[in-house]
Amino acid sequence: MDSHQSNNSIEDIFDSSLNLEETHFKEGYDEGYNHGLNTGKEEARQVGLKTGFETGEELGFYKGCVDVWNSVIRVDPTRLSSRVQKGIKQMEELIEKYPAMDPEDESVQEIIEALRLKFRVLRAALGMKLDYDGYPKPKDIEF
Amino acid sequence: MEFFDDGDYELREIQKLEGHTDRVWCLSWNPKTGINGVPPIIASCSGDKTIRIWEQSGPSQSWRCKAVLEETHARTVRSCAWSLCGKFLATGSFDATTAIWENVGGDYECVSTLEGHENEVKSVSWNECGNMLATCSRDKSVWIWEVLPGNEFECVTVLQGHTQDVKMVQWHPRMDIVFSCSYDNTIKVWWSEDAESENWECCQTIGESNNGHSSTVWALSFNVEGDKMVSCSDDLTLKIWEANTLRMESGDGYAPWSHICTLSGYHDRTIFSVHWSREGIIASGAADDAIRLFVESKDDSIDGPSYKMLLKKEKAHDMDVNSVQWNPVDHHLLASGSDDGTIKIWELASTSTEMPEASTESTESTASTEKKALQKLGMTTLI
Repeated sequence: MDSHQSNNSIEDIFDSSLNLEETHFKEGYDEGYNHGLNTGKEEARQVGLKTGFETGEELGFYKGCVDVWNSVIRVDPTRLSSRVQKGIKQMEELIEKYPAMDPEDESVQEIIEALRLKFRVLRAALGMKLDYDGYPKPKDIEF
Repeated sequence: MEFFDDGDYELREIQKLEGHTDRVWCLSWNPKTGINGVPPIIASCSGDKTIRIWEQSGPSQSWRCKAVLEETHARTVRSCAWSLCGKFLATGSFDATTAIWENVGGDYECVSTLEGHENEVKSVSWNECGNMLATCSRDKSVWIWEVLPGNEFECVTVLQGHTQDVKMVQWHPRMDIVFSCSYDNTIKVWWSEDAESENWECCQTIGESNNGHSSTVWALSFNVEGDKMVSCSDDLTLKIWEANTLRMESGDGYAPWSHICTLSGYHDRTIFSVHWSREGIIASGAADDAIRLFVESKDDSIDGPSYKMLLKKEKAHDMDVNSVQWNPVDHHLLASGSDDGTIKIWELASTSTEMPEASTESTESTASTEKKALQKLGMTTLI
């Protein structure tokens, strides 16, 4: 009968006012979500560029050092001890191994730290006073 | 192995060595001195950035400062150790370097400087053969160095594994195994099939779950046989460990260290230093300014060896005792270094023996021995 239909339409009218809170909530959520998507993407791009630059700079620095040291070995194979030469070779391999195209690869931190350590050992062995200024230094705290 | 009866011993102050202008962190007896007519020599290092070499000589047999090694380290010198041949002294400093000193015609010269640690070097240790050196630092790593001809030092490997400041590193007295203890509450054992290769790895970590310490482990020391080890900690206990080193020495692979005893209830402040004498007496230096001596207990216990406190020397110093070291030749002589900037030479003696002749040179020791004699007789001192 008609009364059933009119009951529905009455409910519909009330429905939209009852669901006002829900509607507005959803509207707000969608707005925020989309805004987040866009600003997040932009921020990620900035962070990616920055980290990429820093990583590239550091890796390039180590590669440069390795190339110079390899030249030394070519010019005078006896100049550097076998232990030092082995260390240079290992550094070369680590640079090669670094997943430059895959930042999500878990070994990135491990490899960069191994490189930093190898560099410190070689720097000390060669008596060099060279510091890589690129990465942040820990604060000086004395206990 | 000598067993000691209860309560019959005392630590007599032979002399107080003054000169350092800041706290004394570490001491090391030169192992090739004090015998064959060579006067005993001890090295001390301090917050005043210097190392002092002391020698006992002259008709009065008193200790004198023979040399001050300065203008080399830029910061506190935290650790010093003579190589077993007695020719070289390694010193580790807060300036992140380790210096190697050689006695060249009576003068001590810095013949090499080892760089590499990122920050404060906390401890240095030579291996038995004297061809390798271990250093550790607040940077959480342990570095192994090889001595090459011409006083050249090369880094063999960098051992990482500790998660905090490494307080002390020590080679086993007989084998090329390195032990390190840390602010991370663990003791780590490092070993390589070929000591000169870089294939070192951590073959054991002694932590709380293996009956290990529950706070910073400050020091460790081995008994003369090398089959037992004692460690001291901020958790106020000393722990004794043992391993089947005979099996290890015969090349049968690594034998792990296991806990045999915990000495608790004897210290109520952090224990900074522990040293096992060649006669089996364990000396400890703590933050309560006292020195304590422990020995294996004669009472046969079914659960294995037990240890008891032989004596407690209260107010051994005016401040924290940072280092205690037994003389490797004269087994009853003990040296201690403190935050109060002084070093004291002690003699362990049975209370029933005669008081030694007071030395004419140092008024300090004369006063203290007389004071003790008077106190013994029940007389009050007039001072």
